[in-house]
Amino acid sequence: MSDAALDKLIDAARLDPDHVFSAPWEARAFAIALQLSGSGHFTWDEFRDRLIAEVRESDRIRARDGTSDHGEYYDHFLHALEKLLEEKGIVDVF
Amino acid sequence: MSGDHNTDDSGPAARVKALEALLTEKGLIDPAAIDAIVDTYETRVGPRNGARVVAKAWTDLTYRKRLLADATSAVAELGFAGPEGGHLVAVENTDRVHNLVVCTLCSCYPWPVLGLPPVWYKSFAYRSRAVSDPRGVLQDFGLELPRDAEVRVWDSSAEIRYLVIPQRPKGTARMSEDELATIVTRDSMVGVAKVEAPRA
Repeated sequence: MSDAALDKLIDAARLDPDHVFSAPWEARAFAIALQLSGSGHFTWDEFRDRLIAEVRESDRIRARDGTSDHGEYYDHFLHALEKLLEEKGIVDVF
Repeated sequence: MSGDHNTDDSGPAARVKALEALLTEKGLIDPAAIDAIVDTYETRVGPRNGARVVAKAWTDLTYRKRLLADATSAVAELGFAGPEGGHLVAVENTDRVHNLVVCTLCSCYPWPVLGLPPVWYKSFAYRSRAVSDPRGVLQDFGLELPRDAEVRVWDSSAEIRYLVIPQRPKGTARMSEDELATIVTRDSMVGVAKVEAPRA
């Protein structure tokens, strides 16, 4: 049994094996989260918990609707970061 | 690959830009440090580190034993440590056992030895099927295993991450450790590929 969505992502990785970010904003979002956690504004575990919650919600919807994802991981990452910063009172992003 | 939807104000690119400006203004982040982190994870930390670990494990039996006993310490010996690098476990492929690594919750991955995970590793399709249909996933990657081989699936977490030690391919007996490191791929260290000997 093959999976068309996974096949596409595998093909994309073969064309560009070193690519870890699909757009510059993904890299900036990642680096912002890492720097803020490195300087003690939150722990990476706290961030990961929010990220897992975002991913789980997306998985639930995909399982229900039978849809595939196409590499939206950093959208979840950004939502998790925004929510955590809001919760911590660091910035008011909404 | 940034789509048109990223250009409007509510798109992620605009949101990150606004966030970075706000955090910089508050003195919470330094744009130069952000640039340095991006550069580190785009160009310095990556699977070449893991490839050196595997090449050493192939050529140095005592190192291989140390790696299997305590991977975190063994990779630190080579200078590889950092965020998301603790609690590393190395698992070795043999003729009978093939190891496959996934993170079903999100994206746990051993950054110091493999860098950041590729897009497919974080996808719903991979995370959901690696456990339920590992052989199917391996076929998607073009890897057919013998029917009697056992597939072990390792689910990474915040507490524990995995590095697959792939099998050293036949025909590489004369290669040096440095040469071997050039043929070890990221995919082989996640367990979705085998290492191929270079064509003569």
